[in-house]
Amino acid sequence: MKGKIKFYPALFGAIFLLAFSACKKESNEESMISFDPQKDSEEADGNFPYRWLSTYGFFEGDLKNLSPIEGLIPYEPASSLFTDYAHKSRFVWIPEGEKAKISGDELDLPEGSVLVKNFYYPEDFSKPTGERRIIETRLMIHQANGWEAFPYIWNDSQTDAILKVVGGETKVTYRDEKGKDQVINYLIPNKNQCKTCHNKNEKLDPLGVEVKHLNSEKKIKGESVNQLAYWANVGKLEGFLGENEHPKIVDYSNESLPLAERAKAYLDINCAHCHREEGPASTSGLFLGFDQTDPLKLGINKTPVAAGNGAGSFQFDIVPGKADESILIHRMKSTEVGVAMPEIGRTTIHKEGVELIRTWINSMDSSPN
Amino acid sequence: MKKSSSYPVLLLFILLIQACWETSHEQLFDSSLLPKRTAEEVEGVVEDFILAENNQTIEIGEGFFDLKTQLILDSKENITIKGAGMTKTVLSFRNLKTGGEGMKIVGKNITVEDLTIEDAPGDGIKAQHTDGLTLRKVHVTWTHGNKSKNGTYALYPVQCKNVMIDECIAAHSRDAGIYVGQSENIIVKNSLAYGNVAGIEIENCDNAEVFGNTARNNSGGILVFNLPGLPKSDGKGTKIYNNRIIENNHKNFATPMGEGPNGNTVTMIPPGSGVVLLAAKEVEVYDNEILRNKTVGVAVASYQITGFPTDAPNWSPYTSDIYIHDNAYDRSKGMPDLTHELGQLISLYNAHGKAKTQDIVYDGIFDEGRGKDIEGNPMNICISEPGIKDLLFTRFDLSQGEDDIQSYPDVAPFTQCNVSVETDVTEIASR
Repeated sequence: MKGKIKFYPALFGAIFLLAFSACKKESNEESMISFDPQKDSEEADGNFPYRWLSTYGFFEGDLKNLSPIEGLIPYEPASSLFTDYAHKSRFVWIPEGEKAKISGDELDLPEGSVLVKNFYYPEDFSKPTGERRIIETRLMIHQANGWEAFPYIWNDSQTDAILKVVGGETKVTYRDEKGKDQVINYLIPNKNQCKTCHNKNEKLDPLGVEVKHLNSEKKIKGESVNQLAYWANVGKLEGFLGENEHPKIVDYSNESLPLAERAKAYLDINCAHCHREEGPASTSGLFLGFDQTDPLKLGINKTPVAAGNGAGSFQFDIVPGKADESILIHRMKSTEVGVAMPEIGRTTIHKEGVELIRTWINSMDSSPN
Repeated sequence: MKKSSSYPVLLLFILLIQACWETSHEQLFDSSLLPKRTAEEVEGVVEDFILAENNQTIEIGEGFFDLKTQLILDSKENITIKGAGMTKTVLSFRNLKTGGEGMKIVGKNITVEDLTIEDAPGDGIKAQHTDGLTLRKVHVTWTHGNKSKNGTYALYPVQCKNVMIDECIAAHSRDAGIYVGQSENIIVKNSLAYGNVAGIEIENCDNAEVFGNTARNNSGGILVFNLPGLPKSDGKGTKIYNNRIIENNHKNFATPMGEGPNGNTVTMIPPGSGVVLLAAKEVEVYDNEILRNKTVGVAVASYQITGFPTDAPNWSPYTSDIYIHDNAYDRSKGMPDLTHELGQLISLYNAHGKAKTQDIVYDGIFDEGRGKDIEGNPMNICISEPGIKDLLFTRFDLSQGEDDIQSYPDVAPFTQCNVSVETDVTEIASR
């Protein structure tokens, strides 16, 4: 009998080893090699996309300074999408003689418009305007047949960026606000992955360039202005009736604002691009837009549909008063592909975001009905 | 004293047998023997998907493709994606670090054929908002040792129209192997699903025919569900015929070992389930071989049995208008499941004696708006099996709560009717 019992640890050991070897990850050093493609000459012939970012002529002086030419307007959505703590500088180009137009709550940009989004990491987050490394620039170009997205990857010498439709992967190091060194395996999405987020009824669609997001203050040329008012002032917007006449969304990072509004603003910009009726996650019936008031659609006591691994050991998307039993939190604090939400654009945990949503869920009334 | 201390050991032993031994790692072939394609060649495939033009065929050659990013075909028409054969072209997503599925398809008239997809962290192939989708001779599997890390669905058309799944193989999904959700006009035929939690699942769909398939060695063979709170709220019209639904006794690995069911309904499926109808509407199950499923051949259940909230717009939790006839059954596998609540219900409370496999069970939950008495068959559940005298049928009465579960062997109230389930898939039969 004793002999038989002894057999078990060995068996378990073997199972453990098997399980361990099955889980071991292969290293991916090959994809981390330095990146310095040979620069060739290219003419700005109007046939988009160009191979090199510099060919568009959006910036003057050293490209890496990202100093916009006259007419390229900087913008910033009131609440911004978390992308692995990357900093973003965004610009919009509206062709000469053309205007953006507000109709209802929608902001329509004319054909020929270009959105320029640069993703970078300051070496030291406590000095956000100091030395930095630009990783990628995504262009969204409004062409005759709709919007199209093009990812440009910056070279190591930061002199230019090249169109790379298949995306890529790069290691990023920075020092965070608390002085701690961080390393991130930054994933540059492939061209068609852009539409994982930028998707409205299966058409590519801008995200932050919305009335509710741009009806907010930003420093432009040293002066704090309402962004839509600025666009109108420089003759690039029609239909603007004054800031109080249009919808607004709050900045979720502004702690002086009401919790529920901040939480819903966070979910709106980070989740609702998919989780809305016009988005790819409409399959789930979980709709996380700022204006959502139906508890079931918000995920309150709602069972998942196709969450698979993502459900963890939990039953409902949101359990009022119990953030740590809510699938929403489970998926926000995971980095495991297949579990983590959003599905792309995040390989680290957005601690501040998790904390915000956790506090919000815990503040909900947990008494039945 | 002695007896009581050996009980837990015995129970543990039974549970271990049930939980561990009935696990399949079967693979169709060993993909590691295929020549590995270079990083440039792999990138070429990614590029082909991105740069695809309408009316094009994307050919993928032989070999093992180690993909690090998703393959996405976006809003294109009349595209064929063609490998060199199921055992020749392998797209592996083992090293995918981001993205919900290996291959994603959106478009019109898209065909994928002759290839294998391995180890996608989320779903194997997801097709959404696609009108005209053919998946033919596509094989999707997971090769990890730890099956609770496997992806959700192997073949996953959702919100699609005119779907043909033909001669495909789906293995080891931790939810459903072949899952068609919120779609209309569907054929799933001549395919094989094994080693999954659910073999084939039709969920919130209209007008589907499932025939000529083999669903074996899953936890549940073929499922028809309607779940609440979805944009496509309640589906109806499914025919399930000429399928082999055999030995679906696999451990339910939708949650890791030691963890109970979560909010995913499939986590509640007891191993040993042949066909499960849950909140299903207008389903005909006939001419199938439903063999050696240890817990139950066909289970007819309402959504209330999950214990989850049942309040959702344009949706009913009840199963109604079901016609089960001319199927072959075999109870010889013995010993129903005890690891899941529904398994325990069947095993302990059926009308024929503890631990007896049941051929057909009905939870007896009914909509009082349709009738006051279950004997009047208000939900129109119709059973017409030629060998009914030799089959074990149980109708439960759960209305008095968990402490007073009643069950009845009398099938007569359900044998006096039939249902004419209307499906029409002629339009897609030629796809």
